[in-house]
Amino acid sequence: MKRILPGFPLTFGLSVVYLTLIVLIPFAALAAKAFSGSWHHLWEAVTSARVVASYKLSFGVSLLASLINGVFGFITAWVLTRYQFPGRRVLDGLVDLPFALPTAVAGIALTSLYAPNGWIGAPLAKIGVAAAFNRLGILIALVFIGFPFVVRTLQPVILSLSEEVEEAAALLGATRLQTFFRVIFPATLPALLTGITLSFGRAVGEYGSIVFISGNLPFKTEITPLLIVAKLEQYDYQGAAGIGLVMLLLSLVILGLVNTFQWWNQQRVGRVA
Amino acid sequence: MSIRVEELSKAYGKHAALHNTTLEVCTGKLVALLGPSGSGKTTLLRLIAGLETPNAGRVFFHGEEVTEKSAYERRAGFVFQHYALFQHMTVFDNIAFGLEVRPRATRPSKAQIRDRVQELLKLIQLEAFGKRYPAQLSGGQRQRVALARALAIDPSVLLLDEPFGALDAKVRKELRAWLRRFHDETHITSLFVTHDQEEAFEVADEVVILNEGSIQQIGSPHGIRKDPANVFVQDFLGIEYQI
Amino acid sequence: MAGAIQDLTASRGLARRPQRATEERPLVRWLLIAISVGFFAGFLLLPLVAVFVEGFRRGAALYFQSFSDGVSLEAMKLTLITAGIAVPCNTVFGVAAAWAITRFEFRGKQLFTTLIDLPLWISPVIGGLIYVLLFGSQGVLGPWLQQHHWRIIYNTPGIVLATVFVTFPFVARSLIPLMQAQGLAEEEAALTLGARGWQVFLRVTLPKIKWGLLYGVILCNARAMGEFGAVSVVSGHIRGLTNTVPLQIEILYNEYAFAAAFALASLLSFLALITLAIKGYVEWRALQDLKASQL
Repeated sequence: MKRILPGFPLTFGLSVVYLTLIVLIPFAALAAKAFSGSWHHLWEAVTSARVVASYKLSFGVSLLASLINGVFGFITAWVLTRYQFPGRRVLDGLVDLPFALPTAVAGIALTSLYAPNGWIGAPLAKIGVAAAFNRLGILIALVFIGFPFVVRTLQPVILSLSEEVEEAAALLGATRLQTFFRVIFPATLPALLTGITLSFGRAVGEYGSIVFISGNLPFKTEITPLLIVAKLEQYDYQGAAGIGLVMLLLSLVILGLVNTFQWWNQQRVGRVA
Repeated sequence: MSIRVEELSKAYGKHAALHNTTLEVCTGKLVALLGPSGSGKTTLLRLIAGLETPNAGRVFFHGEEVTEKSAYERRAGFVFQHYALFQHMTVFDNIAFGLEVRPRATRPSKAQIRDRVQELLKLIQLEAFGKRYPAQLSGGQRQRVALARALAIDPSVLLLDEPFGALDAKVRKELRAWLRRFHDETHITSLFVTHDQEEAFEVADEVVILNEGSIQQIGSPHGIRKDPANVFVQDFLGIEYQI
Repeated sequence: MAGAIQDLTASRGLARRPQRATEERPLVRWLLIAISVGFFAGFLLLPLVAVFVEGFRRGAALYFQSFSDGVSLEAMKLTLITAGIAVPCNTVFGVAAAWAITRFEFRGKQLFTTLIDLPLWISPVIGGLIYVLLFGSQGVLGPWLQQHHWRIIYNTPGIVLATVFVTFPFVARSLIPLMQAQGLAEEEAALTLGARGWQVFLRVTLPKIKWGLLYGVILCNARAMGEFGAVSVVSGHIRGLTNTVPLQIEILYNEYAFAAAFALASLLSFLALITLAIKGYVEWRALQDLKASQL
């Protein structure tokens, strides 16, 4: 097929070669290593009690963090899109802070804040709440890094909500609260779910911001990425590759979920428009 | 420079935009491609320009086959519906573009380029606007700049895609008349696409009516009105059924 | 760039008009604002503030001294080298991929686009893992590399590779929606006027995408300099040799040299803030361009 605009062979070729070298070949190595050696060892590595505990931890806490982000992210997206108040622009710009800030910086900052002698940790310790070196600490860190995803996914959707639909509801006698739950919220649901899933995907793989605040106690606060590092240090390449594959598969499932929600979102927007 | 297309077909996926179309445009004529949206008129224009490649069929300019030639090699001046002016360049630079990108061997000197651009600015009655940016112009002014830009390369044919579609009624009428006058002076073979029958009938020497990818009728404005070829043409033009 | 279009809402919801049917009561509004600002300030902003406060805790003199420590200097050098290689490579890739995706139709485009987003979906540790599995001493190419006395893992090349992997989406992701929204009419016009490939790109496309490109490069750079997880896996933490700034921060922190750790952290935080500022500017410019072309 003759292409009108120039440059296809060059740009496509370059991109494909680059992706092959940087992504495909290394991932082939991942698969190769996972299946080198005995099945038994692979299975052991991937399903040992300690590793399974880490799956549960990563999965569970990430889910909770994403839901929390769903709530506060929605409120923030709403407030940023619909209201005017001093500092709105600044707030809007800074929403991306957790995204732009290096994970290690976030990690040590959060740890120092919530450690027993930290600015927030100290008052909390007084009422008997420990917010660092335990699951709560991990939760806090994951809420931090996942926050931008929900807000940024919701903003364009809230912006595109038709004001006329809300006016119609009001004219028909609905209170503002009713309008919100029956009209507005359902319209934003696909986007909200997309944002929560994105936040979840990011949280599950997070490393740098967690390893400082978690304390890394086996069976208690060990996240799965840490176990990969541990396996590598023991030169158990197959084990590390195995766990890596499991995480990869989980990421693909999450990716599939997001695509589904996004597709659902498209359908909705198409219908309303 | 005459234009001839033979059995031209173009499909996008399963959708046949243009079907086995044959058409001849004689040198120096101003021809309108008229039809409802989806009729294939823009596709036909772009195929003639070389902005699309056909699935089947051939294109000839002045008897010479140009099917395999690029848009530039065909020396077709093209005016886009939404002008496609280079937003980041001044009016002057927009018009000069075609001359400045010529290979060194055939590139005119700076002075020659300047003269040519000035000449064209005068032609489109925008002499003082050389340093302005497209964003600072009105729709009608932008359209004229787009035309001047296409003319700068001394095209053998002029192709216009709904040139006045994005303008309001009054400006449209003025530019229509202007185009007709311009064509009368330069006699450059021109083909323009429109869905507005009043426009087609007012401006063109000949009108080609398309529907759903094929030509329904070709003729002079008067001839078509008098003798519509089929029910579609009658309906489209709002002609009463002649018993 | 969703934020760009957002400012069009300035015409909505002016706080001092009488209540309209589609507005909440002022009390509700201010409560929601308070919740989100409170959450934001307390949760998100506070860590940033903590970085700077902790960094200066032992005084300004010690703050600046942290940077002149030999090991820290080596770390900064390595970070600069890494970013200096990773960012240009990823920029070239990003531009090429964006051009291929937004200007042409081809089979497998969806897969291609998804593949570009891949590093954002997986743990950075995996980003490092795959290179260890490929080039490590027990990796697929391990024995072959040892034969030739080449070391990639626990050495600079490994760090560069891991950084390239983790940051390659950013330039492409910034350019693709931009180039898609801009459409290719101007490029087609340039073609009809006789411009050839490179001329079209340099004279027509590049001026149009320059702000999006700038933002993509800046973001790629910020992420490259701040990458921790992937680099941690491939570096071996050899002090003075394979430590980047984020890794050095980790080491300092674990050794309880808090002030020094936060001093270095504050550098990266500055970078993050500059990145956000540039993002804000780019979006503002994009909005201006959008408004102008709609006259």
